[in-house]
Amino acid sequence: MFIPNDQMRLARAYVPFQVYSEHFNPMEGLLKGTIFPELYFPYRKYHR
Amino acid sequence: MWSYEKKLQYPAKVGKANVKMAKYLITQYGGPDGELAASLRYLNQRYTMPTPQAKGILTDIGTEEMAHLEIIATLVYKLMDRASVEELKQVDLGGHYADHGKALFYVNGNGVPWTATYIQAKGDPVADLHEDMAAEEKARATYEWLINLSDDPDLNDTLRFLREREVVHFQRFGETLQIVQEYLDSKKCY
Repeated sequence: MFIPNDQMRLARAYVPFQVYSEHFNPMEGLLKGTIFPELYFPYRKYHR
Repeated sequence: MWSYEKKLQYPAKVGKANVKMAKYLITQYGGPDGELAASLRYLNQRYTMPTPQAKGILTDIGTEEMAHLEIIATLVYKLMDRASVEELKQVDLGGHYADHGKALFYVNGNGVPWTATYIQAKGDPVADLHEDMAAEEKARATYEWLINLSDDPDLNDTLRFLREREVVHFQRFGETLQIVQEYLDSKKCY
C-alpha cells in the first residue's frame, strides 16, 4: 500500500516529479516517443 | 503566434490501404478523446491558469496535439488511398461519402461530428488540470484499442509513438497540478 508522507493531504491527487537522470539518444528517443527511460511504458497488445 | 514546420513530428507510414481501419482511426481526429478535442481544450484553458509554468505547458502540449492531429489526418488519408465508392460502401462509409466525398472530417468512428461538448474550461485550474490528465489517459486507452484493432505493423508503430506521448503528457500535467496546488496554497497564507 502507498503510504502518504506528512506533506500530503487528503482529497488531493499527486504525481511525483520526474527527476532527470539519463536519456536515450535522440534517434532512439524519437522511435520510443520519449527520451526518458523512466517514462517509457510501451503497450503490450492484448495484455488486457 | 505559431511557426509551422512542413514535416510531420513522426513518420506516418501504413503497410497497405485499409478503409475499415481508416474508419476506426478517424476517432482520434474528431472523436471525444481525439487530438482535436485535446488541442482545443488545452489551448483554450491556458488563459485562466494562475502560473506561467501552467500556461506554458498547456501551450506546449496543445501545440503538440495539433502536430498529432496532422499525423492522424495523414494516416487516415493513406489508409483511404484510392478507395473506390464500392469499397467505401462495404465498410458503411457511404454516408460519409454523401456528405464529404473523400475528404476528411472531424467525426468519431461512427461518423458523429465533433462537438464542443467534448471539452470544458471550468475557470478553476485544479478542475481543468484533472480534466486534462483524464483526457491523456482516455487518449492513451483509445490508442491501445486502435492497436488491438489493427494488424498493420507500420500503422501500429506510429500509434505506439502517439500513445507514448500521452503518457509523457500525463506526467507533465501531473507535475503542473502540484505546482498549481502549491501556488494556490501559498496564496492562502497571509
